[in-house]
Amino acid sequence: MEAIQGAFGDIIWGVKLAPLWLKLGWEQTLARFRRTVLGPFWLTANLLAIAFALSFVFGALLGVDWRKNFAMIITGILSWGIAGAYLSDAANVFISAGDLMQTMKLPLSFHIFLMMFKNFINFAAQLIALWVVLGLMGLGAVPTWELLISLPLVLAIACLVSLIIGMPATRFRDINQTILFAVQLLFFITPIFWSPSQMGGKRGAILSLNPFAHVLELVRQPLLGRSPSMIHWEWGFGTFIVLSIVAMGMLVLYRKRVVFWL
Amino acid sequence: MSCSVRLDGVTLDYFIYSVRAQSLRNAVFNLAVGGNLYKNQGDVTVVRAVENVSFNLVEGDRLALVGHNGSGKTSLLKVIAGIYEPAKGRVDIQGSLTSMIAHGAGLDFEASGLENIRRIGAMRLIPKKVVESRIDAIVDFSELGDFVRLPVKTFSAGMMARLMFACATEFDADILVLDEWLGAGDASFVQKASDRMHSFVDKAKIVILGTHNFGMVERVCNKVIELESGRIVFQGSTEDWIALRKH
Repeated sequence: MEAIQGAFGDIIWGVKLAPLWLKLGWEQTLARFRRTVLGPFWLTANLLAIAFALSFVFGALLGVDWRKNFAMIITGILSWGIAGAYLSDAANVFISAGDLMQTMKLPLSFHIFLMMFKNFINFAAQLIALWVVLGLMGLGAVPTWELLISLPLVLAIACLVSLIIGMPATRFRDINQTILFAVQLLFFITPIFWSPSQMGGKRGAILSLNPFAHVLELVRQPLLGRSPSMIHWEWGFGTFIVLSIVAMGMLVLYRKRVVFWL
Repeated sequence: MSCSVRLDGVTLDYFIYSVRAQSLRNAVFNLAVGGNLYKNQGDVTVVRAVENVSFNLVEGDRLALVGHNGSGKTSLLKVIAGIYEPAKGRVDIQGSLTSMIAHGAGLDFEASGLENIRRIGAMRLIPKKVVESRIDAIVDFSELGDFVRLPVKTFSAGMMARLMFACATEFDADILVLDEWLGAGDASFVQKASDRMHSFVDKAKIVILGTHNFGMVERVCNKVIELESGRIVFQGSTEDWIALRKH
């Protein structure tokens, strides 16, 4: 009973510490680009380079003009940042917060929120650049209102996944290595730079069971000015509920242990 | 506001994982054979760092934790600070607590001394205005002068100790938990720090100090707990402890 209270207490305390992780997240983002010339524009440059390269290559492969898929690809890569690419950070979340965890009493959820807020800042910074670029190219679209629901949902899912991966990855260091290549694999099997309609038959059916694909569409479709279809919402909320139960269970069982695993 | 620290039969175990135990493959393999293999192979070593420690501190107490290296002083301080949850027993803390346990912990080495003062204040959720109003006092007490504008990585160990101690004591807290890093300061600073800890009594606060410094115990503390292999071997007033040591 005490452990269950402790698990909920951990999350509530983490939420209450919002002023602290908002401040720290911002400071650490600024510090990351300290003494660089481009500053946060490094993130943008990265996104643009990958999106242009993929559009050129896949446009040529499919025999269409590269501009045709550019908006889809660049928003796909951007959305992937909060829909899946965070996994490699998530595996290291407690290991890299180890110093802080051993000097100050903080809830586990605090470290998750801090990591995810930094991830969100990256997303927001790239989003602004994305609109500028798409606007200049005449490909821009006004985001739909669904983003206001889907974005918090996707971020909440990301926090839960991070908690679920972060705890065992602190104990078993093989998980970090596994995640590193799993993220790369997921990047290819999730429709980020290709569209599910190009993938028919059995393979398409199997790939449609990938929850990351649905979570990704929940961010991408509104950004492209379309409403996400019902199936994405169902997968999104379903994933959220299942992950919440798993994450709470793990917090109940292992919350006190994590600091000893460092 | 009243504050107190109460420990009841606190026991702390460390689990030391070897490289083998940290591998997932071994864990899965061990599941298949019933999970006994670990213990048999000694992959997880359990270290009992603190065993059955109980004490009670009230307003105005200054406790010295003494003992050899590895006797469990720092582990016990970390339990009191809430960083480690004990395997058994209860820790009951009333009042706000500040801990400065590891040397240089919580400092951002790239940032300047001033930025670090603000950062420490923010970490302890102290309003910005209050932090700003104390900066002069902190710089003054730490005697860092203009060095406070330089990155902390350029500081000596003693300068860091001064800065940390000044921050720990200048921002209000009911309970102060300090480890032996204070000794990094020079004689005049140690004297100044002892005086300040002494003045905490007037404010009805509690100080818990892990130390090897005999003089520090004598000057600052009214109670002593001596640890040996995680167990209490002496608990009582400073006078009794000194009398015992002289025999």
